[in-house]
Amino acid sequence: MSESSPSRATPSLKLALAFALREMRSGLAGFYIFLACIALGVAAIGGVNSVANAVSAGISSQGQNILGGDLRFQLNQREVNPDERAFLESKGRVAVSANMRSMARLPDGSDQSLVELKAVDGAYPLYGSLVTTPAGDDEALFAEMNGAYGAAVAQVLLDRLNLKLGDRVLVGEKTFELRAVIDNEPDLLSDGFGFAPRMMVSLAGLDAAGLVQPGSLVEHSYKIALPAGSSEAALTEIRDQAKDKFPQAGWSIRGRTNAAPSLSANIERFSQFLTLVGLTALIVGGVGVANAVRAYIDAKRGVIATFKSLGAPGWFVIAVYLSQILIIALLGIAVGLVLAAIIPYVSGYALQNVLPIAAKGGFFPGALAWAALFGFLTTLAFAILPLGRARDVPATALFREQGFEQRGWPKPAYLLAAGVVIAVLCGLAVLFSYDRRIAIIFIGAVAFSFVVLRGVSLAVQWLARRAPRVRSTALRLAIGNIHRPGALTPSVVLSLGLGLTLLVTLALIDGSLRHQLAGNLPERAPNFFFVDIQSRQVDAFKEVLQKSAPNGKIVSAPMLRGRIVALNGTDVTKLTIPPEGAWVLRGDRGITYAKNVPENSALTKGDWWPADYTGEPLVSFSAEEATNLGLKVGDTVTVNVLGRNVTARIANLRQLQWESLAINFVMVFSPNTFAGAPHAWLATLTDPTSTAQEEAAVMRNVTQAFPAVTTVRVKDAITIANELVGQLAVAIRAAASVALVASILVLGGALAAGNRARVHDAVVLKTLGATRRTLIKAFSLEYMLLGLSTAIFALLAGGAAAWYIVVRVMTLPAYFQPEVGVMTVIIALVLTVGFGLAGTWRILGQKAAPILRNL
Amino acid sequence: MTKSMIALDHIELTLGSGASSVHVLKDVSLRINSGQSVGIVGPSGSGKSTLLMVLAGLEQVDSGSVEIAGEKLEKMNEDEAAAFRGRNIGIVFQSFHLIPNMTALENVAVPLELAGNPDAFAIAERVLAAVGLADRVTHYPGELSGGEQQRVAIARALAPSPKILIADEPTGNLDTATGKQIADLLFEKQKELGLTLVLVTHDASLAGRCDREIRVRSGRIEADEDAPELAKTA
Repeated sequence: MSESSPSRATPSLKLALAFALREMRSGLAGFYIFLACIALGVAAIGGVNSVANAVSAGISSQGQNILGGDLRFQLNQREVNPDERAFLESKGRVAVSANMRSMARLPDGSDQSLVELKAVDGAYPLYGSLVTTPAGDDEALFAEMNGAYGAAVAQVLLDRLNLKLGDRVLVGEKTFELRAVIDNEPDLLSDGFGFAPRMMVSLAGLDAAGLVQPGSLVEHSYKIALPAGSSEAALTEIRDQAKDKFPQAGWSIRGRTNAAPSLSANIERFSQFLTLVGLTALIVGGVGVANAVRAYIDAKRGVIATFKSLGAPGWFVIAVYLSQILIIALLGIAVGLVLAAIIPYVSGYALQNVLPIAAKGGFFPGALAWAALFGFLTTLAFAILPLGRARDVPATALFREQGFEQRGWPKPAYLLAAGVVIAVLCGLAVLFSYDRRIAIIFIGAVAFSFVVLRGVSLAVQWLARRAPRVRSTALRLAIGNIHRPGALTPSVVLSLGLGLTLLVTLALIDGSLRHQLAGNLPERAPNFFFVDIQSRQVDAFKEVLQKSAPNGKIVSAPMLRGRIVALNGTDVTKLTIPPEGAWVLRGDRGITYAKNVPENSALTKGDWWPADYTGEPLVSFSAEEATNLGLKVGDTVTVNVLGRNVTARIANLRQLQWESLAINFVMVFSPNTFAGAPHAWLATLTDPTSTAQEEAAVMRNVTQAFPAVTTVRVKDAITIANELVGQLAVAIRAAASVALVASILVLGGALAAGNRARVHDAVVLKTLGATRRTLIKAFSLEYMLLGLSTAIFALLAGGAAAWYIVVRVMTLPAYFQPEVGVMTVIIALVLTVGFGLAGTWRILGQKAAPILRNL
Repeated sequence: MTKSMIALDHIELTLGSGASSVHVLKDVSLRINSGQSVGIVGPSGSGKSTLLMVLAGLEQVDSGSVEIAGEKLEKMNEDEAAAFRGRNIGIVFQSFHLIPNMTALENVAVPLELAGNPDAFAIAERVLAAVGLADRVTHYPGELSGGEQQRVAIARALAPSPKILIADEPTGNLDTATGKQIADLLFEKQKELGLTLVLVTHDASLAGRCDREIRVRSGRIEADEDAPELAKTA
């Protein structure tokens, strides 16, 4: 029998894998929570990113249709001059359109509605097709017939004004016949879909309406279809030529590859926010991974010790169990990836009502690989420490028939390895996030939550230990269970605490936003905004308005549109601007001039200019936006207004109250800056006592007297904003519920593991005379106390996080929502008592004798 | 002079620390020759199992020298000691400690595979046949009787051809008849392979079958019927 080889080789990794596979023959029992947690987290991250990719792919694959051309040149408040037009026409077929907001009113003046007016020429659309019911060509839809120009409108306008096709409306000074309903507008996405129903007319119709006056807020678009097969290089060349040839044109040029940059950026930003929420789910799930690995290693200590007694080195033991954990993780990741791959197809259907683009499904390996990597790293991060304990299992325990309980920290090497994996995980989350600051805050918050939750569980146990002795047996048992060694307290507080805190945070933010938008308009918020008031009409306008609303307060300001093209002489396209400041540089902004400091703002730095100032152009900049852009008093800002670059020096900074919804401008110039420039006025009417009928009367009177003035009712705008927030909230809640489901899974796993451990207690107590009723009462009280303390923590931590985001980041007033508190407590109690008793009930039903024999 | 397979000199071992520390082995010196069978007996808590663990390189002594098969164990780290065990020592436990998810054949092959033996399964099959379990090779531990499980454990201990066989209460979990069969098997293989056998037992008859009996009490060797021999080899 002496047949073994005399030389001894080191066992190989292959052998470790073989041993791991043999060990896994008994199946995945004990790993279902692990599998579900990893699958859920990976599915959430992979799904969110796949959907974002699907939408982005839709945008880029349909770039020509979305943009309505290969290139779009857009000008505010002015049309191209003959030189510019000749340049554009030399490049390809040109379609001209104009966009503005206006009022469509019934001929009898009884009702009116804000519309997004789009005027097109005969060449429209260059790509894709305008689909209407009934179908018709340019002539049939828009030409003047029987004294009225034609219009195609969104169905919602017909519904709002209770009209049908063939009816007529007045826009400006002209009558339009509603000839068709728009089913598909190919370039809707790049031309902006916004606050009001679309009304499409011809350029001639727009002209006849007399809406376009000096200073009117109108966007002129020139879309070019280049010769077929034009390359990206050709597009870039034309852009460069346009910039070189017409440096002062002030047009914004957009190509087919970047047809909807704002939507793309928003989708990217939102998907990365949801990725962080998904990552929370994965991290919560990581707690489940750690619990499962710890329980598994505990159960395998005898086998580990046997391996060691048979000559297996420590690293080999780790390799065997790490292989098993990674195999199970890969299985979970695979399940998660399958779900993630399906999500774009399912969500494509759900999103078709939200996004005006066909977000077709698709397979996005990059997004899936990203999710798989997060899943893999999270598993490693949470499995290394419990695995490290396997290395320390003493083989001597086999001789003594002793327990294998281990306390204290694993060896430094395992702490270091776990630290490195966590650092890589955090690094990747930050590196690839849209807003690194938010990613860093997120990571800090998660780390802080772990530490605080550990502190909470220690505090709860400390309190339980020091609780006065109570008469009730059940309560005494419950309090004892909370603080004794091996108690459920740490795992319940950690698993439920993370998910519940996230839920509370999101619920409070959502509630505050909705409250702010819907129920709690600032007291000084205006009832109406009026735009496109011609300078010569301002006094007459105010007179009509004051008559319609005798108690109302009217505020007016001149308004121009301008785009910041340079800061301190440096082209803004060459500057790196943080995301929170980028919106100021994106497209055109409303700008104004004033002799005095405007209402709703206060100087924070610098001095206001004298009323009769005539020196170099000066500008007053919003303090917060200046900080975000890195600007200070004395710096210069160059703005392109009406095709002319104007450079002004920052004279002072102002603190604005955006949430007041009053007239606010980032930039207020000294009056001499725009002397002689054509512009319109903006006005607001504030009347807190006004009723809905009185508001309707104001709209009617203003629209009849000044057909070219656009009236925006703030409540209507708020309603639309509310709908948008509602749509976002659905997505946020869906992602948050994934984190909560992960949390519930982990909680269920932790309670199940705890129940296994308390079979002994229950049986011993029963043999000593405890009734089932006493035991159920004791366990219920224990779960209730744990659930309650976790809920209190979640409310405090979630409340603090929500307060920070609402008050500090969004600069909105926080809103107390007692219903969130009540719901949190109910959810926590239902989960802890429900899950806890579900497992305990089974234990209590068992006979004592057979269990005692096997203990 | 006969060569010592096991040589312990003045070993001291204290387990635990502070108030809970226990001085388990006190100035123990011992020589066991190659091919000898030794039964270690003593009351519970006397230190006999700890002595066995020291011999297996599973417990490091505080002081003194432990030389097994010509190698100093006290200088080895945990992994070196594991490799040494794989080469030289087979262990049989009271509770068998078979790996539940592995068949009898795979259990026996484990130490051979760990040693990198390319014929691990062929050898394991032959050793299992030698302990009378040729028809049980594909059975899992849960499908075997206690006696059969201990036979598998003995086969596993013997498979790597160790120089020393250590057995901790090898019949302690078995009924009398099965216990006798296992004891017969142990002694048969010890003689057949010329192994050094050290077993810890409470069973006087089992200890009596050994070439030599050592009685341990309170961490010291109280009686050693082979003391003159020890003196000779020292």
